[in-house]
Amino acid sequence: MNLLVLYLLLLKASLTSFSGLGSLPMVRNDFVVERHLLTDHQLNMAVVAGRTGPGPYGLYLVCVAYLVGGVPGACMGFLALITPAFLVIPLMRWIGARADIPRVRSAIRGLLLASAGLLLSSSVPLTRDAFTGIFSAVLMAASFAVLTFTRIDSAWLMLGAAGAGLAASLFQ
Amino acid sequence: MNPQNSSPPSVKKLTEIFFRIGNTTFGGGYVTIGMLGRELVDTRRWISPEKFDLAFALARVTPGTNVIAFCVAIGALICGVAGAVAAAVAVTAPSSVLAVLIMQGFESFQGNRVAMAAIGGTVAAVAGMMWATIWVILRPHVGGLTRKGMTRNLQVVLITGGAFIASRIFGLTPLPIILAGTLIGFLWKDVPKDVPKGTQRP
Repeated sequence: MNLLVLYLLLLKASLTSFSGLGSLPMVRNDFVVERHLLTDHQLNMAVVAGRTGPGPYGLYLVCVAYLVGGVPGACMGFLALITPAFLVIPLMRWIGARADIPRVRSAIRGLLLASAGLLLSSSVPLTRDAFTGIFSAVLMAASFAVLTFTRIDSAWLMLGAAGAGLAASLFQ
Repeated sequence: MNPQNSSPPSVKKLTEIFFRIGNTTFGGGYVTIGMLGRELVDTRRWISPEKFDLAFALARVTPGTNVIAFCVAIGALICGVAGAVAAAVAVTAPSSVLAVLIMQGFESFQGNRVAMAAIGGTVAAVAGMMWATIWVILRPHVGGLTRKGMTRNLQVVLITGGAFIASRIFGLTPLPIILAGTLIGFLWKDVPKDVPKGTQRP
């Protein structure tokens, strides 16, 4: 597949979504249903790979591009992933200049609170999925407490959690 | 940049922080945003909480992956366009390479008991991180027990709770929920936080 076309298809999917996995329906339509470049299984693997590692969930676009076009394709996927983000700069200049106006400040606050509600909504299934017993509940509570009340780096927390998971499996 | 800061950050230092946090934080964009908030607002004071909130709010309405737009916004606020480009690349390039490698080795990875046990621990920690991130977002907007504070709390409960119900119970997509939250915020003017006596500006 032509790399420019690959970039434009992924850019279209990225530009018409507002969250990491929001582009998934359009990607599936373009790559699985219409062009038969990927199977559903491959797309699923790309999503899982994007979610397994660190970083944003939208990384699955890079995996999709890699499956379609190899390493050059992955580079196109990477560019399509980051390009829309730069739209925030003019947006910030325009709204940022008006951020002291009380109504604008209130609107931003409303947006933030709604975002928190959305995050709350997506945290519920994640928490349910992560809960496998008392041990996982303790790890969740410890992770919350460490991040809320201390300044310990999250990398150490992840390392500690991985070690704890490993130790628990050895004792079982 | 926050005027309290004595040494202005360089693009190199900023890149280091985005690289470290963006590529060691599991659990998606919100967790990364929470970690960046701790580092850039609370610890280093390179950016004010108001500008952090503005970047977060605008990243939500920017097309694409929110956390990348957020990093671009923060990078631009701290170090200009060079900071924006550096932030986007530092946060996504290494983890993109890793995602491709994970995808290649995923099937053999799944059969590995040791790897799966370690991943199980990190998944639980990520869930805790998500709740900590929600608290980081909500904390500045929670008021006290005064009349003004209670009005602010009511706004938090109604808008956050409404967004939660609209998404969780009615299955609405994020965009209309965010637009509704913004509109409610615009119409229902924010009540400033109570300032302790003796500290008000003239």
